[in-house]
Amino acid sequence: MENQGILVYLESTDGQILKVSLEAMNAARKLAQLSGKKVGAVLIGDASAAAAAASYGADEVLTVAAHGYQPDRYTDILTALCERYDVSCLLLGSTRDGKELAARVAARTGSGCISDAMSMTESGAWVRSVYGGSLQETVSAKGKAVVTVRSGTFGKPELDEGRTAPVTAETVDATPLRSVIKDAVQELSESVNLEDAEIIVAGGRGMGSAENFQLVHELATLLGGVVGASRPAIEDGWVLRNHQVGQSGKIVAPKLYIACGISGAMQHVSGMSGSGFIVAINKDEDAPIFEVADVGIVGNVTEILPLLIEEVKARKN
Amino acid sequence: MELLVCIKQVPDDTVNVTMGADGAPKLDDIAPVVNAFDTYALEMAARFKEANGGSVTVLTIGGEGAVPALRSCLSVGADRACRVEEASVCDPQGTAYLLSQASKKAGEQPFDVIFCGSESTDAASGQVGAQLAETLGLPVITNVLALEPKDGGISAKQETEDGYRVVEAACPCVVTIVKPDYEPRYPSIKSKMAARKMPVAVLTAADAQADASKFGPEAAKVQRAAISAPPQRQSGVKIQEKEAAEAVRRAMEIMVGQKLI
Ligand SMILES: Cc1cc2nc3c(=O)[nH]c(=O)nc-3n(C[C@H](O)[C@H](O)[C@H](O)COP(=O)(O)OP(=O)(O)OC[C@H]3O[C@@H](n4cnc5c(N)ncnc54)[C@H](O)[C@@H]3O)c2cc1C
Ligand SMILES: Nc1ncnc2c1ncn2[C@@H]1O[C@H](COP(=O)(O)O)[C@@H](O)[C@H]1O
Repeated sequence: MENQGILVYLESTDGQILKVSLEAMNAARKLAQLSGKKVGAVLIGDASAAAAAASYGADEVLTVAAHGYQPDRYTDILTALCERYDVSCLLLGSTRDGKELAARVAARTGSGCISDAMSMTESGAWVRSVYGGSLQETVSAKGKAVVTVRSGTFGKPELDEGRTAPVTAETVDATPLRSVIKDAVQELSESVNLEDAEIIVAGGRGMGSAENFQLVHELATLLGGVVGASRPAIEDGWVLRNHQVGQSGKIVAPKLYIACGISGAMQHVSGMSGSGFIVAINKDEDAPIFEVADVGIVGNVTEILPLLIEEVKARKN
Repeated sequence: MELLVCIKQVPDDTVNVTMGADGAPKLDDIAPVVNAFDTYALEMAARFKEANGGSVTVLTIGGEGAVPALRSCLSVGADRACRVEEASVCDPQGTAYLLSQASKKAGEQPFDVIFCGSESTDAASGQVGAQLAETLGLPVITNVLALEPKDGGISAKQETEDGYRVVEAACPCVVTIVKPDYEPRYPSIKSKMAARKMPVAVLTAADAQADASKFGPEAAKVQRAAISAPPQRQSGVKIQEKEAAEAVRRAMEIMVGQKLI
């Protein structure tokens, strides 16, 4: 890899690069266009996605051996590569692990760390949201940078199957682990692709019960869409947490977003205000969600949704 | 065990922050509160102390104005409070450095576990905890949902994208806390009264032997070029009908007209 280039850490599971890592790759490609620098990609542990990394835009792929995810080991590896190649900008997807690694590598390499970037300006600065999404700031690192990219913001880079890149195996000496992952338990098996959905039907606290929340599922299925949710609906156990939209969930931009029993707190709205068309159903005519809705229906979700479901069914036939 | 909780005072996170005429966020009218994640961290620390013994100290970097935040922590489980008088810290790494120095002076004994929130609700960098650990050269466990002592160290339940992990570390260590499945306790009138009389220790950067070249504006590794309100959406039609069926019919007409359905 050339010195002072851009490096992207690609997180993968079962040889599949995570979508948010591909978004980081897309951000890296944009940065490369601006700066004329090359983009290296690093795969740690499982190197089977090396060819895919090249077809998504890596100019070179680095691989490093590791036995399972251990944050201390991965921090060592990324720090060593940043130092070895004097990396100017390390990019990661904003997963929980990605954010931890970013903060730690930045501390060790003395880089400026920028969390949850949502877009890049023409001058290569990063835009991110603050105050729960009610404002956004444009920031840049003074010297070297470590940047995490929010899921649902940069989109995937174009896939060029014919594109290849040299693959180099790197070695980084192991040091004793200070914190150790002993066990990992998977609770959410089904993956939810809110970022790519064209239609999202989302439910909030106003749905009232797990039983009523089934109406959200029913309408989503009928429209060929995906179920979204506000935080309270998740906390109440009506739907799993990988359905969350907003500040601490996913940023989404479907063509149609139907918000049912959601008040429109900024932490929710900041995650869905990029939608093409927003329909809101709320019994409170002053609910803030109506301020961002293209169509607002003042009414009770338990009355409106069953009728809406009937109407959609009738149209389909 | 001796526990330290780093807390930050932030503007009430339920209030929409707008831009002032001076090009800065308008914060004057927004009530200051303890960062939500720090209240979870404090509750977890207080429960840990109640189960295993020890004490809980809260530490913040902030001016006089942050004293009420510390007092509110004293009324819900903290035993001691300490404030670092320093206004010029501007980025997460500077904050982490100053906290690392202050953490060595804030307690009577060295701390076994240092708690941070996973993220502040205003700056939302989510970096300080991990960087504090790096600065101190300590192990860190991020996104912790639950915590218990194990073999002289700790065992934590860490939230992941699709479930959780069990992670162990020796003490001293740093943990960052996400929302557990309980709410922070409320103060009682008695605990509020008691908190009012408790001392709040004050440290200057010099007391903490902190090197100003490592936390001040000069040291900031990230610079803000601009801050603004995100693009606003226009609201469209509001349908308010006596008959729900009529409301649905009108909404359907628009959606179909727009070729959305
Ligand atoms: C750090 C932080 C991060 C956060 N991240 C997120 C996030 O990622 N996503 C998120 O969603 N929230 C997030 N929140 C929470 C957010 O601030 C709000 O509390 C939340 O979005 C409110 O959810 P809600 O609209 O479902 O509930 P509520 O605000 O309680 O609103 C319920 C609405 O339903 C309406 N209603 C009630 N009954 C009916 C009925 N029968 N028919 C029709 N309408 C009805 C009510 O009028 C009300 O408007 C976060 C908060 C913090 C502090
Ligand atoms: N000024 C501060 N004083 C004390 N602790 C802080 C301060 N700023 C941040 N923290 C801690 O760091 C955590 C994460 O903050 P941040 O990295 O800004 O999102 C917070 O939840 C606090 O525990």
